[in-house]
Amino acid sequence: MSTNSLDGLAEYAQIRYLSPAECRFDLTAGGFLRLELGAESYDPVYVFRSFPLSLGDRYLSVRDDKNNEIGIIRDLAEFNLDQANLVRGELERRYFTPIIKKVHKMKEEFGYIYWEVETDRGARRFTTKGSHDCILPVGENRLMIIDVDGNRFEVTNYRELDTKSARLIETLM
Amino acid sequence: MGVAATIASEKSLTAALAGETPVTKVAFDISPEGRYIEGQVVVTPTRLLITSDDCVIREITLAACRDFKTTTMVGSGCLETTVDGVPTRLVRFNMRLLPYYSNLVKYLNKVTAGETAPYFEEIKEKTCPRCGLVYPDESQICPKCINKAQLVKRLLSLAKPHAWMILGTMVLFWISTGARLISPQLTRLLIDEGIGNGNTDKVVFYVLLMSLVLLFNHGLAVARGLLTTVLGSRLGQDLRNMVYGKLQALSLNYISKHKTGDLMNRVTNDTSNIQSFVQNQAATFINDSLVFIGIVAILMANHWKLALLVLAPAPLVMFIMARMRATFRTMYHRQWHFFDRVNSLLQDILSGMRVVKTFGQEKREVARFTAYSKDFADITARNETLFNTFFPFIGFLMGAGNFLVLYFGGRLVLGYEMSKGELIQFTQYAGMIWGPLQFFTFIPRWFTQTMTSAERVFTVIDEEPDVKDLPNARRHEIKGAVKFENVTFGYRSYEPVLHNINVDVQPGEMIGLVGHSGAGKSTFINLVCRFYDPDEGRVLVDGVDLRTVLQSDIRSQIGVVLQEPFLFSGTIYENIVYSKPDATPEEVIRAAKIANAHDFIMKFRDGYDTKVGERGQRLSGGERQRISIARAILHNPRILILDEATASVDTDTEQQIQEALGRLVKNRTTFAIAHRLSTLRNATRLLVLDKGCIAEEGTHEELYAKGGIYRRLVDAQMELFKMRETEIAGQRNGAHNGKPA
Repeated sequence: MSTNSLDGLAEYAQIRYLSPAECRFDLTAGGFLRLELGAESYDPVYVFRSFPLSLGDRYLSVRDDKNNEIGIIRDLAEFNLDQANLVRGELERRYFTPIIKKVHKMKEEFGYIYWEVETDRGARRFTTKGSHDCILPVGENRLMIIDVDGNRFEVTNYRELDTKSARLIETLM
Repeated sequence: MGVAATIASEKSLTAALAGETPVTKVAFDISPEGRYIEGQVVVTPTRLLITSDDCVIREITLAACRDFKTTTMVGSGCLETTVDGVPTRLVRFNMRLLPYYSNLVKYLNKVTAGETAPYFEEIKEKTCPRCGLVYPDESQICPKCINKAQLVKRLLSLAKPHAWMILGTMVLFWISTGARLISPQLTRLLIDEGIGNGNTDKVVFYVLLMSLVLLFNHGLAVARGLLTTVLGSRLGQDLRNMVYGKLQALSLNYISKHKTGDLMNRVTNDTSNIQSFVQNQAATFINDSLVFIGIVAILMANHWKLALLVLAPAPLVMFIMARMRATFRTMYHRQWHFFDRVNSLLQDILSGMRVVKTFGQEKREVARFTAYSKDFADITARNETLFNTFFPFIGFLMGAGNFLVLYFGGRLVLGYEMSKGELIQFTQYAGMIWGPLQFFTFIPRWFTQTMTSAERVFTVIDEEPDVKDLPNARRHEIKGAVKFENVTFGYRSYEPVLHNINVDVQPGEMIGLVGHSGAGKSTFINLVCRFYDPDEGRVLVDGVDLRTVLQSDIRSQIGVVLQEPFLFSGTIYENIVYSKPDATPEEVIRAAKIANAHDFIMKFRDGYDTKVGERGQRLSGGERQRISIARAILHNPRILILDEATASVDTDTEQQIQEALGRLVKNRTTFAIAHRLSTLRNATRLLVLDKGCIAEEGTHEELYAKGGIYRRLVDAQMELFKMRETEIAGQRNGAHNGKPA
């Protein structure tokens, strides 16, 4: 659809994009993120990804505790490292997704798959449904794996894993 | 982050407890920085201790805390509280622990508020404590611990009613095995006594005898086939009925959690897999096992050295087969999955055809389907290739022994240690071994397939309905009073959809349920129908707890009219009479008349006998609606539920339907959900639900005057309605479908 046909609707689509200059994030004593935006102050704020699977750190919705959108960060890369890291910390808390570095073992039994893996957050065992719905291809070689409880794991590029891990994962695709 | 920052001095849990006894402990496993750790939240009567790797890293006095809560993030959860006025994130944990923390939060909030602490709700374990296997679905039955032998036993127990037929089949098997084993003996006699001695009479005699045996054997095969087919189809039918019956008995929850296609597969495909196993593979297996044992015994008795040569490759073959078993299993599991995916896609696209056509996406859908079906074709081809390369190779290995037998046996004959007839008899027996052996190698695949199917079928049969009739549940004639008493409910107990609802409805009242989508309107209805039981509190009908009344009894007295009424394929008459199968034609006509349906039905050529459904008369939304109202009127329920009953029709039809509904709700307790608030003007009372709570309650006038949520909803709709009017006035070409927002 061309944007022209939406021109008349612009007033309904007013989105506030947050620029690094007007934002000041910091961490509260209780471990929450706080935002000073010009003269306004929000405590706490929550950060949500608009495209958690495809665009990661771009288009982050910053919301207050009533779930009202304060604004959208177009790209976290525009922020300086300290500020970006504070937001990344909050994102890490909201989207806890360990990255699988190695698959030690994978056993299928009665419709469930039992995994033993090494992740960037430490070793882990988890169980997924045996049907292939548990593995969500995201882009070319990237995979999202969701276990029976709703925990998420990511394989950034399964072709770059060691041969054994890659082979084990391939049997599920 | 806060938690880590407050480490004062690390000490052991025992030291930190200082003589206090913990009330409860809940594990957590994610550090503030997001690494996996092993920690515990230990609650004592006065304090909350957080330990990590057995060291206490934080101590909090409960008296300083308020508002404990769990936050569900993506892929993890967080326990939060307010310590001395400061909102604080305490610990992070993986999703499996969420229900434990919901429990803990309930407990902590009661304790910190000075109330008596509730008991900890029992949490349904998801994994088998014996082997760690995840239970399939909600049933707490571990398919691994009930092992295959038990599945077979269970299948056999299903066969019990047909025991006589099975016995008959077995006898036929024994006879035919005997007959098959006799033929090589006859060949030997033919060669040694007939041909060898030049005795024409004996040749004729043995040839005749052999052909008679063969004929007899074929006759037996026909009888056997008949018996196993009947047996198999009876068993299949029993299974199908069991699964289907169970599906009907299961709560809505189960049905809505599974794809229709998957459930259909279980009723049809899986049961017919089992059926085919019983009537084909199992039968052949028994037969071939008997033949195999018989031959081996005869071979060994005749010439054990030669027999060993024949059997030499067997262990190797069996070993390779066993190794390949797991591979084949996953292969075919995948194939099955891909097949299912193609099926689901097809179902999706066919039911969404209008959308596809509207947006002109036919080509894309064709491409998508082609891609899926190519995947399926590829995987099938790959599986079959492997299967068909592997087995000829195995076949060659098996046959290898035969050459050795001919060589060594030939030498024995030349040395007069064996007669020619004996050698031929021997090779004939040896030849007969391959059949069963080869068949045995197929068995793992069939067996696994059948066991997988059996398991899938049995898991449905074993499924316990979430909502069960109590053993002492009784009948109850509904008068129509409905009362919600402190009802809290969530589809998952840690995510309440309704909070502490208190409503008292008198018989004959019409209650309008109003609120944004997701406010809990449908959930409220589900609890009235007892599709679910409340987590806390009670739903009472005429002062009787719904849980103590037979479900069938409640539902038979509750009528539902849905926004998109479901009509079964069949005639209009059948559809109306569905709610009361013993109704007379007069009653049906009367119901249709009251529902403003009689006149349009009479316009159809076939009147009440008009077929509806896929190949029948196409009915408009309004017509279907009125038929479903007639169905409800005939049903004469004490409690009536109208779910968006008029959302999808034009104004004229709406008037007819409104009129019909007005007649229907008379003298009945009615719960009506409508987005279009004007349709609720007849309601005695309106309940405005907001985020699972009753935000406002009263008549239309009262609530409108109050100027709260309801007023805003009404005003917003008036606005919308006006906009639509202007729109209609403005563009008479009418590109809208008449469905208001």
